[in-house]
Amino acid sequence: MARTGFSDSKPLLDLHKKVDERRAPLRTWANACGPIDRWQPVDVDESRMAPVKLEPERRWERRLSLQTKEGIIMGFHEDSRAHSADGCVEEPVLLYPHGLQGLHSLQALVPSLLRHEVEMALEKLGLIWDRTYAWDVFLDMMRTQTWNALPTADLPRHFTDATRAVLVDWLIQVHETMHFQEETLYLAIHLLNCSLRQIKVTTANLQLLGMVCLFLAAKKEECLLPEVSGLCYLMDHTYTKHQLLRLERKVLCGLKFDLSYCPPLHFLLLLASIARCSAKVVWMARYLLELSLLEGQCVVFLPVHLAGAALCLSRQVLQEPPTPEGESAWCLASSVHVGSETALLRIIHILTNAAAKAHTRETCATFIKFSSPETMHVSRHPGLKKISALLGICT
Amino acid sequence: MAHATSIQYEPVAEIGGGAYGTVYKARDTESGQFVALKSVRVQTDQNGLPISTVREVALLRRLEQFDHPNVVRLMDVCATQRSDQETKVTLVFEHVDQDLKTYLERAPAPGLSPGRIKDLMRQLLCGLTFLHSNRVMHRDLKPENILVTSQGQVKLADFGLARIYSCHMALTPVVVTLWYRPPEVLLQSSYATPVDIWSTGCIFAEMFRRKPLFCGESEVDQLGKIFEVIGLPPEDEWPTDVTLSRKNFPPLMPRPIADFVSEITEQGAQLLLNMLTFDPLKRISALNALEHPYFQDEETLTQTKS
Repeated sequence: MARTGFSDSKPLLDLHKKVDERRAPLRTWANACGPIDRWQPVDVDESRMAPVKLEPERRWERRLSLQTKEGIIMGFHEDSRAHSADGCVEEPVLLYPHGLQGLHSLQALVPSLLRHEVEMALEKLGLIWDRTYAWDVFLDMMRTQTWNALPTADLPRHFTDATRAVLVDWLIQVHETMHFQEETLYLAIHLLNCSLRQIKVTTANLQLLGMVCLFLAAKKEECLLPEVSGLCYLMDHTYTKHQLLRLERKVLCGLKFDLSYCPPLHFLLLLASIARCSAKVVWMARYLLELSLLEGQCVVFLPVHLAGAALCLSRQVLQEPPTPEGESAWCLASSVHVGSETALLRIIHILTNAAAKAHTRETCATFIKFSSPETMHVSRHPGLKKISALLGICT
Repeated sequence: MAHATSIQYEPVAEIGGGAYGTVYKARDTESGQFVALKSVRVQTDQNGLPISTVREVALLRRLEQFDHPNVVRLMDVCATQRSDQETKVTLVFEHVDQDLKTYLERAPAPGLSPGRIKDLMRQLLCGLTFLHSNRVMHRDLKPENILVTSQGQVKLADFGLARIYSCHMALTPVVVTLWYRPPEVLLQSSYATPVDIWSTGCIFAEMFRRKPLFCGESEVDQLGKIFEVIGLPPEDEWPTDVTLSRKNFPPLMPRPIADFVSEITEQGAQLLLNMLTFDPLKRISALNALEHPYFQDEETLTQTKS
């Protein structure tokens, strides 16, 4: 199938695929992954897949959108051939464990349309190299991210959220000087969150721990690795190279070498691509998502929820004039979140608060980073203050 | 943490001096369970553990999270420093007493029943499908690293280690068995996941024969033994990027597989030939092998019974 331009609305209905394109690598997953008891195939009433009206149930949208009317009626025609063949293939979307209750409705509402969009978006973002496996990759992202949310936001007693924020802020700066990939930052902070809970570190060694996490993240993600001596220089030689490498082994042992992570950034780019978001909305969402790294409470949320909330809030802040295509694309993208509204609303509150205070805080590396012309000055957007007033959050 | 492994795991016996270094059976002093300890010494420079080791072990850990029934559990990983230049990475696997080799040796006189072979094969291919779908190839599949629990559950072991151990490998002049190697590896051509399917085919045949199918003594001898069964491949299938010429082998015709593997059903023989296909691109994949009629007849039988 030829790749279609993203602005073109035709691919929304272009569900014809060659049979061999829907060969069943997914069976692999059905056979292969996860303890059997987690896998609960659910029968879906096929008749519900026909043109569907989605009621605007999103509370956060209602509360936030005082100017735009968010009447969402989504209707699309399913190509019967397409979804009859998809019936079994879609099943694994339900097969990942607990956490995303919305999936039943997801399967019923957006069978091959969402799949098609996800495949196109992943390909466009370069997150896959073969369209055949795109849907597998997405299911894998959805499934594995559930391992990435931490059970509690509590830190070991001698650390506070404020200390953690200072450390994260410093890491964001180091990350920027190193010109690392954004994924590396998200992985580094994830490793930091895990290792703070896994291994004993004194407050004096907290900075070293942060650096080790960034170094390990770079080993996982980057092509070019910084010299350890350079890292020690960035810490004013407070620690020796020997100390850094010793802590590296300690962290690796503590985490049992578990360095896999599905960054919320990937979900953000994926959802933004499906939703046809403007560049400015994406930059704003990236800013808000990066702010979430500073918030200790955010470690309990799923990456897909963090991404969805950032995107949602970004749209509300920027209040771009709606278009019918844009609204239906947004609707499709947000179908991924059906059933998770509470989590999203909580994240939106945290992020709104964080964005309103960002410029006054000591930890303002992200604020400064996203005030540049390259990032369309999003962190200085006046809408960020307005929205917090609307939400009734005092700064 | 540096001493934790030696304290937590108490060595009981040496269970193998494989190509990748010594393997110990040990007791986990916390749980009382037996584990298999595999250590590898990696060279470390001023930048700590090499990227390749970090990434490979992280991949094994990621696979572990899927908890696949036909893949051996990786219970723990630990890195300890031995000197400034060397770090020891210890992988702690679940210990299974029996491998397929001993399982076949211990099977009473007429050998394994066709149903038992089918079950073992299905599990083996399930494990392989899982690894392949995660972009991991085994590269050294043989009866010794296919474990069979006392309940008859198949568990693949030693996968993905090749790359972690590669730097260490160069230092140990160990003879690695050629018997399960596919032609593309023997010819030193490029290779990918089909290598494991070839090995699986060899093992499939061995389950019936209770002795290996191709016992070559050198690369060329191994290829000769392969062609005696499957025939000399046509010129256009011979890889172009290899030094060994097709002319070095006598023009042999394929012989019926039943001459070598008696007792195999027609469908079994068909699957076996699909696995022992010279051209890796034409060789059946693990996923497709699971859908082969050889595996389906049993299900339909039980379905009609119930």
